Amino acid sequence: MMKKVVEVIPLLLLLFFTTHATGKRYGPPEKPALTRCRSPEKETFTCWWEPGSDGGLPTTHALYYRKESSETVYECPDYHTAGENSCFFNKNDTSIWVNYNITVVATNALGRAFSDPVDIDVVYIVKPNPPEKLMVTVMEDKGWPFLRVSWEPPHKADTRSGWITLIYELRVKLEEENDWEMHLAGQQKMFNIFSLRSGGKYLVEVRCKPDHGFWSEWSSTSYIKVPDYFHREKSVWILITVFSTFIFLIITWLLHMNSHSLKHCILPPVPGPKIKGFDERLLKNGKSDDVFSALVVPNFPRASPSNYEDLLVEYLEVYVPEEQERILEESKDLHDGCLKSEISRSDSDSGRGSCDSHTLLMDKCGEAKEKERQADRESGRILTETQRHQKGWKEEAFTYAHAMVSPDMSGGRVKTWPSVFSPLPQYSSSPLDKQSSLKMAKQHSLSTSSFLTQPGNSPKEALGTSYWDSCLSNKQPHLLQPQTQVHRELQARSDVNISSVEHKRATEYVEVQRVNKEDMVLLQPVVSGCGRMEGMHKGEDYSKREDYSKVKGLDSDNRLLLQREVLEGDRCPCVDQEMTGDSCTSSTVCTTQKPTACIYTAMPVQEEMALAVNGYVDTATMGALPTC
Amino acid sequence: MNMMTVMQRVVWPLLLWPYVLTVSIPLDCKEEEGSFSRCPSITQEKLLDRVIQHAELIYRVSEESCSLFEDMFIPFPLQLQRNQAGYSCITKALPIPSSRSEIQQISDKWLLHSVLILVQSWIEPLVYLQTSLDLYEVAPDTLLNKTKWVSEKLISLEQGVVVLIKKMLDEGLLTTNNSEHGLFQYEAQPEMLESVMRDYTLLSCFKKDAHKMETFLKLLKCRQTDKYNCA
Repeated sequence: MMKKVVEVIPLLLLLFFTTHATGKRYGPPEKPALTRCRSPEKETFTCWWEPGSDGGLPTTHALYYRKESSETVYECPDYHTAGENSCFFNKNDTSIWVNYNITVVATNALGRAFSDPVDIDVVYIVKPNPPEKLMVTVMEDKGWPFLRVSWEPPHKADTRSGWITLIYELRVKLEEENDWEMHLAGQQKMFNIFSLRSGGKYLVEVRCKPDHGFWSEWSSTSYIKVPDYFHREKSVWILITVFSTFIFLIITWLLHMNSHSLKHCILPPVPGPKIKGFDERLLKNGKSDDVFSALVVPNFPRASPSNYEDLLVEYLEVYVPEEQERILEESKDLHDGCLKSEISRSDSDSGRGSCDSHTLLMDKCGEAKEKERQADRESGRILTETQRHQKGWKEEAFTYAHAMVSPDMSGGRVKTWPSVFSPLPQYSSSPLDKQSSLKMAKQHSLSTSSFLTQPGNSPKEALGTSYWDSCLSNKQPHLLQPQTQVHRELQARSDVNISSVEHKRATEYVEVQRVNKEDMVLLQPVVSGCGRMEGMHKGEDYSKREDYSKVKGLDSDNRLLLQREVLEGDRCPCVDQEMTGDSCTSSTVCTTQKPTACIYTAMPVQEEMALAVNGYVDTATMGALPTC
Repeated sequence: MNMMTVMQRVVWPLLLWPYVLTVSIPLDCKEEEGSFSRCPSITQEKLLDRVIQHAELIYRVSEESCSLFEDMFIPFPLQLQRNQAGYSCITKALPIPSSRSEIQQISDKWLLHSVLILVQSWIEPLVYLQTSLDLYEVAPDTLLNKTKWVSEKLISLEQGVVVLIKKMLDEGLLTTNNSEHGLFQYEAQPEMLESVMRDYTLLSCFKKDAHKMETFLKLLKCRQTDKYNCA
């Protein structure tokens, strides 16, 4: 039984192996391959190879080498020192002067295989061992820490004699990071690493390489922890910041306490307007009308005539003698002429009205510009009226202040005379004052026009102003002479009794009936339309221009020539002329002092007069001129 | 065993010879830094450089060991009397050019041969020196290591010069002249002072000759690159 078992077992084993064996294909071994050869110190070297498949049979490998230029084949002296599949060449077998030609042969029962031969130059296959004794310490440089890394070359590499020259490289990283920071150290065996993170843990490694050769493996890692440091500079800055914040808070608190007084010091309060009745809010609203209406103070100006007279002190009457008048004529200055009419306006105190035919003056100006004929009339009327007003206007609230009044203001407001009239006496002869006089005249016209205009007549104001503009812009001479003539003529009527004239009548227009021999213009009051009727025309009626006569001019006999005006509609040309004393005063160019020609008397007219500035002669006091 | 070695030495070359023939040997071999060089042989320039570097190292180390020995064993007054003490260098009798004019006249071939002679003549004395220094009790290890190193490197240098000669001059390897070995004769155990002095003489002489070797080789290199400007 045992025998059988014993016999069976090898059979079984044989069967087992044969079954296995039949599955494989036996063959010669595959070609092995030399993987690498390395020399650690340029004095010895080792070669490793990779065997191929062994073909199913046990295979042996052998390394054979041949030195350059020698046919002698040597076998590897040492298969074991360097491990499996390796060959170690010791010092005696290593020569740096010659190349090695190495081949590995694999042999098995069925054949052998040769690897590809390889040429080795020992100098170029040097791969040293990693550096040794790596030491890292933390050192300080003016408060900033840094790492000092030092190491030793591998003990086998003979760097002392210079047999091998090694260069080193180290790498650093923080423990929690993934990226290494590389530093090349050259041939030195010490290195400093700066810019450390306070309190960080660092890893340091180092490796080396000969002049010609391979980098060694990285040395073992060295760990170092940088102590926490707080840099002095930072602490100083923090102190400064805290201190300045503290001071800032104190200053803020002080400012807050004294904010009121500081405000007064730095931004003094703007003084508000001190005009009585002036409301800032209205101004902000933008309604200028309201603002200025608020300024209107009742009972202002004072009604006392004495004050009135005081105010009008500046208005001096200048009587220019004939010679002077001629001189002035020759000056060919229309502006002079225009203004002269103003100058010649008589003072209310004088009792004399200026006799200048203000209307004539207008006419002259109007001749220069045909378009403004009507404007002439109107302004003439205006001036006449103003002169009348000058005489002593009691109920009309106006003052002749020395301020410029904007023409935009509606009527009924306090009017301010410009201080035009103060330098009146100087004006007459000096053209230098022309400019100022012009201005004054302009201002005056503006003021008068605005003053005398009823609300709703603002366009007429414009006409008045425009007239004046035209009048002033024109340079036409020879206004004085006719003016004087007219003045004289009109003055002649000064003795007309105007007392019958009511104060509160509106503008009344008279019609020129005829001119008698004595150079007197007979006037008739004219009602609206063409009929001859006595009545009064309200100021509003003057919009019908057909009631007015246009003064055409003066003839040589000092006669007022009136023009028939033909306007649309059935209008009879009505000629009105001021026969009253004060109506005469409307002409502002009156400079003559001949009372005979002057038929004007300064008579205060109390009515509100809304004169149209169309150059029409206006009879201020109506109906009082029967026959002159 | 003998059969085996015969087989190894005969059979394998026969088997391998096709491979030898198939490998082409380029004349101009490019240097490659890698594990496996493409050239079957090291170029002449490279070889010469290596030899020179070798000689430089030997000289440097010998100089260091000589100064070490001097500092340690030789009192100052005697240092100046090196050559006057009757201990002449052993290589004095060698047919080596010693003056500059001679060196300029000599050919490359003779330069190389001179170097070889020098090297070969110093191998034995250095071995002796090593043994002599080992006898010192107070000799520092560094000194001993250095001298040992020098003797090893000298042998290596000899190999290199031989290869160089073969390459440059296409001459066969000259068998080492055994007569050179006879230059150095062992003397009987001298006295301590004498051995010290002798060793010192050896070291210093060797230092000088190492410098000569280096100089010859550098001159040779100079002649390779620029023939007319070498001093």
